[in-house]
Amino acid sequence: MKSQHSPNLRQISSKLEPSYAPIWKQLGKWGGFAMLALIYFPLVWLILLSISQNPLGGIPGAFSLEHYRALFSNSAWHKPMLASLVIGVAVGLICAVAATIIGRALPKLNSPGRVLFMFVVPLFVPGMSMGAALFIMARAVLNLKLGFWSVALGHFVWAFPFALLIILVVTIRFDHRLVEAGRDLGASNWRVFWDIEFPILMPGIVSAALFGFLMSFNEVMRSIFLRGTVETMPVWSWIQAAAQQSQVPIIFSLASLVLLITLPLLCGVFWLLFARVGRS
Amino acid sequence: MQQIAGALQPATGGREGFLRALGARLADMNLAVTAILLTWFTLVIVPIVVLFAFSFFSTVQFRTVYEPTLDTWIGLFSSGRWEVTLRTLRIALTVTVIELLIAFPFALWLAKGCRSGTGRAVCLAMLTIPFFLDMSSRTIIWRAILGQSGLINTMLLGAGVVDTPVEWLLYSEVAVHFGMIVSLFPPMVMPIYLAINLIDDTLLEASNDLGASPWQTLSRVIIPLSLPGVIAGVVFCLGPALAAWVEPGMLGGGFVNLISNSIESAYSALRYPVVAALSAFVIVLLLALLGGMFLIARRFGDPSSSLSAIRG
Repeated sequence: MKSQHSPNLRQISSKLEPSYAPIWKQLGKWGGFAMLALIYFPLVWLILLSISQNPLGGIPGAFSLEHYRALFSNSAWHKPMLASLVIGVAVGLICAVAATIIGRALPKLNSPGRVLFMFVVPLFVPGMSMGAALFIMARAVLNLKLGFWSVALGHFVWAFPFALLIILVVTIRFDHRLVEAGRDLGASNWRVFWDIEFPILMPGIVSAALFGFLMSFNEVMRSIFLRGTVETMPVWSWIQAAAQQSQVPIIFSLASLVLLITLPLLCGVFWLLFARVGRS
Repeated sequence: MQQIAGALQPATGGREGFLRALGARLADMNLAVTAILLTWFTLVIVPIVVLFAFSFFSTVQFRTVYEPTLDTWIGLFSSGRWEVTLRTLRIALTVTVIELLIAFPFALWLAKGCRSGTGRAVCLAMLTIPFFLDMSSRTIIWRAILGQSGLINTMLLGAGVVDTPVEWLLYSEVAVHFGMIVSLFPPMVMPIYLAINLIDDTLLEASNDLGASPWQTLSRVIIPLSLPGVIAGVVFCLGPALAAWVEPGMLGGGFVNLISNSIESAYSALRYPVVAALSAFVIVLLLALLGGMFLIARRFGDPSSSLSAIRG
């Protein structure tokens, strides 16, 4: 595929050279890497500061675990943490089940695009507007008392589109001849689902549940509107950080712990979803 | 939906027969699909419609008056909120343009320039992970980096570049821009990457064989074909930027008031119609900017192809 037409044409590879000079390609590459570094550097810095004696000084140093000790002797964060965990698990489970049902049905529908669009609308509505819309619906129109249930609903609306898109990754590739073969051999609908479809869709379902959990666990903007008087973990950190500077070291420690648990979980999901599914 | 969740759990104990019967009925799923669709409609579409309707009511002495009026909308623009709106628009557009300038070349490199499959997978995973991390703890840490005794100032002072700490790094519009650019990068790259990744390599080869310069290939083949992705990226970046709340709160230090701050103060003042009007206004603003972009994009290619997936 080398250019044989005229000598004054630059030689370019069969893959693309985005412009005349390789410098543009390098700029694109390193610009993106710089942004990735800016995304991940604060996370490292957060962990470093959380094990320093004086996190508010801005420079890590004189490492100690005293803030972790303070964190564990402080029980104020237990209730919001528990609330976040319970809401997260509920949202994750409901997302996984609902997304599996819709994800299996969607490819068979007449106009899947329109239905899919309806399900991904929350991705296009800013979090603040969606939170306000749900708040006005529940509080001002239906006059309900807000609480954990409304926070969970808000999180579900936010997390479901992601869960659905993840499930679609596996359901679109699903080979329906397997189901027909199962039917021909006399299996009931339930057996076909449970013995054939479910194991194949498993990585997608697990990922959808985990993503649903994580989206819910870290959500702030919608919770602020829908929380009533209850507090979830991110809302608690937010209020503490805004109100008292003295609480910030504890929040650093707590955020670091959450991060150290979340990151391996996410890497696991990616491995499950792409490395394993990609191979099969 | 919880009942369905229960019914789909693996059958345990003596009620296996009952669960299996229920499962068999649910196996063709038409009932469940309809139920979820209806639930979704009441949870998402209805509240948005109600939001728009509510913005035409007004508040008198902390009570909402249910009579259609334009007072709330008129009040929005007469009470000096123009300034806030213009600032929000300016910041959101600046952030989006900068994102586009960094994200497009990176997405192009990732989709067509990157030879190693593992490298690409790692990049994609690193771009996806931030969606699931806590915004507030990721943003609050910038205070420790940009602050007066933070990393940047310590480095600048140590290198002798400046004599006194640079103050405009934190609690300023610069900091808000910066925080938003960092957090909105992945939503901009991902759709553009997906769109460019779908362009067949043979098209690029054909363009090259027909004697097009790399620049011509870029402007006549790649950019028109990646327009749907670019538009999706702009939506995912512009929407959160217009409603940004974490960054101005954490990095603006009260000096950078955006629409989201107005929404929050109206919320704590129980002025629900104002909350509704401002939230609806953000949605309308997003739609208007998108409409404008759609018209501009038509000059370069066929942006309506991005809707073909929706038409089904």
